[in-house]
This record gives sequence, C-alpha cells and structure tokens, in this order.
Amino acid sequence: MKVTLLVAAFAALASAQSIKRAADGKPDLSGVWQSGGVSLYGEPGIAKAPPAPVNPPPKREPLPYQPWAAEKSKTFTPVDDPTLRCLLPGIPRITSMPMPFEIVQTPKEVVIAYESFHAFRIIPISAKLEHPNDLVPTWMGDSVARWDGDTLVIDVTGFNDKTWLSGTGSFHSEDLHVVERFQLNTDDTITYTATVTDPKVLTKTWVTGAVLRRPPNTRVEEYECIENNQDAPHMEKAQNKAK
Amino acid sequence: MPKWNALLFAIVGVTLAAVPSFAHHSFAAEYDSKSITLTGVITKVEWTNPHIYFYIDVKDANGNVENWAVEGYPPNTLKRTGFSKDDLKIGDTVTVTAYRAKDATNRVAGREITFPGGGKKFAGPAAAPTY
Repeated sequence: MKVTLLVAAFAALASAQSIKRAADGKPDLSGVWQSGGVSLYGEPGIAKAPPAPVNPPPKREPLPYQPWAAEKSKTFTPVDDPTLRCLLPGIPRITSMPMPFEIVQTPKEVVIAYESFHAFRIIPISAKLEHPNDLVPTWMGDSVARWDGDTLVIDVTGFNDKTWLSGTGSFHSEDLHVVERFQLNTDDTITYTATVTDPKVLTKTWVTGAVLRRPPNTRVEEYECIENNQDAPHMEKAQNKAK
Repeated sequence: MPKWNALLFAIVGVTLAAVPSFAHHSFAAEYDSKSITLTGVITKVEWTNPHIYFYIDVKDANGNVENWAVEGYPPNTLKRTGFSKDDLKIGDTVTVTAYRAKDATNRVAGREITFPGGGKKFAGPAAAPTY
C-alpha cells in the first residue's frame, strides 16, 4: 500500500513538474499560441497531422437554444457575420480564429494580444474575481482571472449582444457569461475550454473548446482587416442573385 | 483515405469552432465549390488585409482579353506558408486553379498558382478540403 502511494506520489510529482513554470511556480502560459488554420496545421489533406493532444477538450455540442432563439438564429446568414465587417469576434469565438495570439503572464496579470482584429485583453489575476462595477457592454467583455490549482480560469462578463459564439447565427444576449479555462499540458499544448451561460437565450450551459499549440517561428503581426475588405458587398450580391 | 488524414479531420473538425477557410468570412457564401483554371498575365497586386488580391488579363478563345480578380489568404498566412509578396510579379504569366464568385463577376478565390518557372504554391483554401 505504502509503495503504491509512493509510486502514485512520484508520478503526480513528475507530471506536475514536466510543464514549464513561471518564477512564481504557476504554469507558464506565456508565448505565441494558435488553435488552427493552415499556418499552424498546413494545408488540409497535405500536411502531416500533429500528434493527438494528451488532454483533448470536451466535444462540442450544438448550442442549446430556447425555441424562440433557435428560430431567430435561423434568420441570420453569413452576410450578417460581424467579423465579415472586421468587427471584434468576442469570446470564445476569437480563440478559434486561424491566427496566432500571444499570452504575456505576470503574477498579477495576464495579457492576451490577438493578431485577429487587433484584439487585446488585459486581465488582472485575483482570487476575488471581481469585475469593475462601471461596466458598459462591449464586444470582448470584461475579463478577470484566478488560478484554480494549475489551471488559469478567466471569468468574462459585460458583453454586448452583437457578437456570435461560433458559427452562422450563433447570437447571444447581454447576459452572456463565459468562464474560460487554460490548462498547460505535458505535451506543451494548452487545453482551452469555455463554459458559456446565457439564461435569456440558452436552456442550459454550453461548453466549447480548442487545443492551443505553439505555431513554429511565428510572431503576432498586424492584421488591418478593413484595409481592403471587399467581401461584404460581394457576398450581398451573391445572396441577392440567389434569391 | 490515409489514417493521418482522418486524424487531421478529427483534430481540426472537432476542436475548432469552424474549419475556417477564410478568417473573417464564409467561403461558401461567396464562391462556387467547382474549380476553374485561368491562365493570364498579372496586371496588379494588392498585398492587403483581410485578403490579398491580384489581377490577371485572361485571353479567351476569340482573343478577347478580360481582367480577372483573384482573392487569396491574408498576407500573414501566405508569408507563414512560404508564399511571398515577391512571388507575384506584374507581367508574369501564371495559371490559377480557382473558384468563381457566385455573383458571376470575373472574380475568383485562388487556390493553386503555377508560376512561370513551373513552381506551384497555394494562394488560398480548397473549397472542399480533401481531409
């Protein structure tokens, strides 16, 4: 029994020690990360697949819309996508954009700088998880973080109702509340999960996730999306032609 | 289908909110899924976000020349996949496999570009990726 416990303790220790840690002992999430896209995975069907992650995120279920919300969701088309007009994707959608982002971590705050749509989040770390009391609804909401053991938990609220959660028509209300979890794994991936609640439009909690990997030789660069954005008028024309 | 193809599909398909062929808009809402091939002379290059465009003069069977716009990945994506701005030279003749715009204008989403020396690079996503 003692031997078994000892072996288990050593195994737990080895596992805990094999992730990169910051000076304060917390997992070191800093660096450039990306969840997908050809610049990470290569061309589908041509590139060599990365090894399966050691800690895959939960399988994503369809959005559990209330009946009226399911009907409303169907009225949207890709032309209504806020990101088509280069507007901020909101959370958790921004994590799935096929562009890198950099996490900068200190004991007191985490900054996430996204290439996509020039988004940034400056997130204080505090066990209290208190949001400011003067929030005005915004595209990316207000984020506060705490450590839950080795997992960074970010609580996000204060959203406007203009972003989409994932695919076409995945609208939400200003009551959206997202809890993100960033867990660094021994294969140097991050398991990202977002737990989404919105009692005005959803019947229950919805969970989505992604595996974050370090794109090789990549730094976060400029993406000035509105510079030459011809797609919205083109898509409107295509849609009108199809009617 | 090779095993790793299935694996890639599993990883990309399950973990992403979408399989985003383009970062900020739906491919299928704008372009056909059937590919066409165009050969023409590059007349203009716009190395811009959210997508690059280059323009080619294409001669039809009767000798009439029409200018076509070719849309591609964002500049950063191209750079990271080894496609340089300098690969597109005004005056060069290139062959493009591409998907035509659903609005039936002379505009395509470029897929594979064949350069004068015979080299090939991907300028944009496959309409129906072969996972």
